Amino acid sequence: MIVLGLDTATGDTAVGLLSDTDGLELALRRRHEPDPGARPGHAEQLLALAGDVLHEASLTWGAVDRIAVGLGPGTFTGLRIGVATGRALAQASGAGLAGVSTLQALAEGAGHDGPVLACVDARRGELFVGAWDGTRVLLAPQAVAPDALAALVAATDGLAETALAVGDGAVRHRADVERAASVPADDDPRHHVDGLAVCRLARYAPETPREALVPDYVRRPDAVRTADREAAARA
Amino acid sequence: MILALETSCDDTCAAVVTRDARVLANVISSQEVHDAYGGVVPEIASRHHLELMNLVVDDALARAGATLDDIEAVAVTRGPGLTGALLVGLATAKAIAVARGLPLIPVDHLQGHVAANFLHGDAGPPLEPPFVCLVASGGHSFVARVDDHHSFTVLGRTLDDAAGEALDKGARLLGLPFPGGPHIERVAADGDPAAFAFPLAHGVPGLDMSFAGLKTSLLYTVRDLDAAGGAGAAARTADLAASYQQAVVDQLARRVERALEQTGLDRLAIGGGVAANGPLRERLGTCASVVHVPARALCTDNAAMIGAAALHQPSADPADVPALDVYATDRRAL
Ligand SMILES: [Zn+2]
Repeated sequence: MIVLGLDTATGDTAVGLLSDTDGLELALRRRHEPDPGARPGHAEQLLALAGDVLHEASLTWGAVDRIAVGLGPGTFTGLRIGVATGRALAQASGAGLAGVSTLQALAEGAGHDGPVLACVDARRGELFVGAWDGTRVLLAPQAVAPDALAALVAATDGLAETALAVGDGAVRHRADVERAASVPADDDPRHHVDGLAVCRLARYAPETPREALVPDYVRRPDAVRTADREAAARA
Repeated sequence: MILALETSCDDTCAAVVTRDARVLANVISSQEVHDAYGGVVPEIASRHHLELMNLVVDDALARAGATLDDIEAVAVTRGPGLTGALLVGLATAKAIAVARGLPLIPVDHLQGHVAANFLHGDAGPPLEPPFVCLVASGGHSFVARVDDHHSFTVLGRTLDDAAGEALDKGARLLGLPFPGGPHIERVAADGDPAAFAFPLAHGVPGLDMSFAGLKTSLLYTVRDLDAAGGAGAAARTADLAASYQQAVVDQLARRVERALEQTGLDRLAIGGGVAANGPLRERLGTCASVVHVPARALCTDNAAMIGAAALHQPSADPADVPALDVYATDRRAL
């Protein structure tokens, strides 16, 4: 099977190409990291990087069997670029789709023998976190305040202090996260989503129907219905 | 034939347009969810675009009796509009174009409104330039001179709210539902347009427009009526709506009349959602020898107009397509 992996849940744009087809074994990855303080480059980078790995593999879009998409949680706009791109590539090429958790991709990419706590910066002073031990879910993806993380981890079976914490959220909120797990140095590549980890998780996952491929926003949109606003004004 | 996508605001749109400007399919999926919020919520609009986009494309192809194999180019709105909303359409169009090896034609949304007049439709054959074009909707209001098929010159634009936005805000002040235009028109039918004198933005120079003062004036009028006791503003809703609508129509019509005078042109096209307004159409119906109003589905935001514009625009260099990004604000205003 030839799997193209895409992830745009963090500021990075991550792409992977994995083939275990006889006579065509390859594992290629590309990642774009925005300069410090710069906007993510998802819209400009995603298709370019994907085209790049296909070109390097001398493959056409039609050769891809499955498109794997990181569904977050993460930045809403980034997630939509990834899902819209994955869906449309599938629509145009006939490839199948498989959605994977970005947090699980981070945990998978860490290559750690033991529990991994994945932390994505959720902004507004929060973290998106999830934890796995191999393929076993220890902590389902959720938003949490950094200072509440240690208590959450302590209350989670199998997520002892031997856990490794990775992701941009672990870097951003290092002091709080270190009270729950050990955090590699800021420049450690394990803090970034690896497009190949997205491919590996999707390789044996069930296919996701196109319309079911939606971001895992975790959060609801900020919006107040007129009726609620008026009720609040009256109160 | 061209597959066109449009997601600049809250409508998820896909269309199939032929090389000779005929509309084979024009699918518009309106997100009525926003009505409950009294306006478009960008994050909600973006979420819905993502859920609907591929289905709307499938639907447009099916209605056109076509498959992607029949498509020769993909057109898409690149801006202006809501960034998150635009990105869904652009990401989809880019991916389809790249995976299929098709040319991608990025289109300016406002050029799309103008190009709605280049389509064969219920209103008859395409309108050929030169003509004066009024585009008035919830998102934009401008009068332009159109001399060719690929560009236009803005003669005047709103300095604050769009005409449709003014109608939405007026409707809210009168306790009428969103979107405001159709509701104000319905209630105004029983009212006296001369009952209240709302400002006509006479102080705005040239052909520019302003609707913010109008909304403020309505706010004070409603407040005064309520303070005067009795049944208050609610008892005068029909008169208020009629007078308010009259002020919006009057301002738009005066700009159009002046534009026709200045340019010496005798052909007019009207587009945008506000073009559906009965009193506006009546008022402008006789001000030029040719008055072209495309069918309603081509006036409000739609993808057929994007396909129409694409017929006259160059496709992007294939090497640049993957990196193509959206733009949120009107480039002409910069
Ligand atoms: Zn529009």
